[in-house]
Amino acid sequence: MRRSLLDHKWAGYVVAVLSVSALTLLLNVVGAHVNAATVSLALLLNVLFIATRWGSLPALAASIVAMLCFNFFFLPPSGTFNIAATDNWIALLAFLVTAVMAGQLSARARRRAEEAETGKREIEHLYAELRDAFERASHAEALRQSEKLKSALLDAVTHDLRTPLTSIKASITTLLDEARGRINGEPPVSLDAEARVEMMEVINEESDRLNRFINGLIDLARIEAGDLHLRRRWGAVEEIISAALLRAAPMTRQHRVELDIEKELPGVRVDERAVSEVVYTLVDNAAKYSEKGSMISITARRAGDELIQMGVEDEGQGIPGDLRERVFDKFFRATRDGDIRTGEPAGTGMGLAIAKGIVEAHEGRIWIESGRGKGTRVLFTLPIGDKDGGEELEYSASIVESR
Amino acid sequence: MTNQPRILVVDDEPQLTRVLRTGLKSRGYDVRTAADGLAGFEAFNDWHPDLVITDLAMPSVDGLELCRRLRAISQVPIIVLSAKGEEKTKVEALDIGADDFVTKPFGIDELLARVRASLRRANTPHLNEATQTILDLGDFHVDLESRAITVRDKPIHLTPKEFDLLVYFIKHSGKVLTHRTLLAAVWGGNYVEQNEYLRVFVGNLRKKIESDAATPRYILTEPWIGYRFDSGER
Repeated sequence: MRRSLLDHKWAGYVVAVLSVSALTLLLNVVGAHVNAATVSLALLLNVLFIATRWGSLPALAASIVAMLCFNFFFLPPSGTFNIAATDNWIALLAFLVTAVMAGQLSARARRRAEEAETGKREIEHLYAELRDAFERASHAEALRQSEKLKSALLDAVTHDLRTPLTSIKASITTLLDEARGRINGEPPVSLDAEARVEMMEVINEESDRLNRFINGLIDLARIEAGDLHLRRRWGAVEEIISAALLRAAPMTRQHRVELDIEKELPGVRVDERAVSEVVYTLVDNAAKYSEKGSMISITARRAGDELIQMGVEDEGQGIPGDLRERVFDKFFRATRDGDIRTGEPAGTGMGLAIAKGIVEAHEGRIWIESGRGKGTRVLFTLPIGDKDGGEELEYSASIVESR
Repeated sequence: MTNQPRILVVDDEPQLTRVLRTGLKSRGYDVRTAADGLAGFEAFNDWHPDLVITDLAMPSVDGLELCRRLRAISQVPIIVLSAKGEEKTKVEALDIGADDFVTKPFGIDELLARVRASLRRANTPHLNEATQTILDLGDFHVDLESRAITVRDKPIHLTPKEFDLLVYFIKHSGKVLTHRTLLAAVWGGNYVEQNEYLRVFVGNLRKKIESDAATPRYILTEPWIGYRFDSGER
């Protein structure tokens, strides 16, 4: 703020002298109509004004000038500093004391108010600084967390891309070596027909694995972008489950599969292929993480008036309680790199994340409970659907189209 | 009993162990595989392979722990399979006593070359015998008693520390030696963090033994890890 002329230290004194003089002049002009009491009150008011605006010393100056003017112009005999009557001496003294006291008190009140104001401003400033610092800190923390997450995701993705690539490269260079060895007449590499086929099988399977991984990434990206277009139609739960089981048959061949579907289930208005994908993922996981010969149970029943609850349960090792939420995070695996016992290829850590995305896009919920034994029971709900929903909308893209 | 060299492959990726089994067998090696460090260790005790190839990241007992356990009981050559991003673990594995590494993804030729080098090194035990006074390897001839060295039949003059460093390199020819290993072996345990010592001495050695110190062929740099010595043999 720019300092005006009136804010200077000496301005208070100048104004004090000038204002008292002006007031005296004015009172003199209307002299006939005012008595000593009015004059003293008017001058007192002037002192208070100076005190509140400029503080105690200019107020003291104003008090003294006012006392002199009061004496000179208004206490008889006027025009002199003499005072005839004793009571006027007392009045003058009383005026001076009142003016000085009032001036000092109001100046002090002003100082206090100013101090309080400064204190308040300081606290506000401090508060703002604290808040800024806190915001900066939490922003930095969020950035750090997000960087950490990014690098964890990058690690997961590079591992999943590099692992099949390593097998492919090792296979292809083995085949190449043999071919080149023959051409150059180097010591022959003995690769029989069976071994050659095995190398090519590995290349084929690992290429499929890379493709599955990339499809999973695309699905996840769609889900995260909220770009999951569902083709909702009325369908039967039994049909959805049997489609999933048919697809999963090669994986479940060595397990016992038990179906428990409640009679007369209402139809559901869902994207059948997407929901079937969820069931397939759960059955595939159940088969992957439980012993051969053990039981996989699939259930479907009503849960209240508006929901259908479906579940897949296995007799495997189960998932510890603290990991039951995290297994739905993308790229998170409760066990590293698939099931060693069965020699199955590793999971991608995306199946459950995609399943969750699909279920939630249907306004459903998916979660994990302990199974009957140690095993895992994954449950999810789907709303039965609005019977007055009218015509079903169809969209061009479907999540499982690319499979 | 066959006289084929026996190789134990330890990796949790079934597809990769399939490929390596076939690829190595086609080159006349006898191969067994294991899916994790624990199974690998058991297979080692059971079968006594001539060489172990192990992945680093594996469930339960990982490659690092396997190296540690193997080194406690054996001097079998170990080649670790690592990926970019696992440099720290790789150096740790080499420090523990792994002999070499191959970075994923790799061509089978590269792995086979490392396998051959490791087996060759393991089959020349005379280099490490304490009674040995003459080292004769590739272009290098060293008389340990008179501390005289010739390279390509040309005598060279080395300071005592340069001599110790070169002898250590020759004795571990072909093996990847981490900065830490070299510093501990030549300067002692208090110097293991002083990489610049090593850089200076390797620079001086190269000037004396290499025909072109800017493009060395004997003391090869393994970026971020250490050095590998190639004696120029065959």
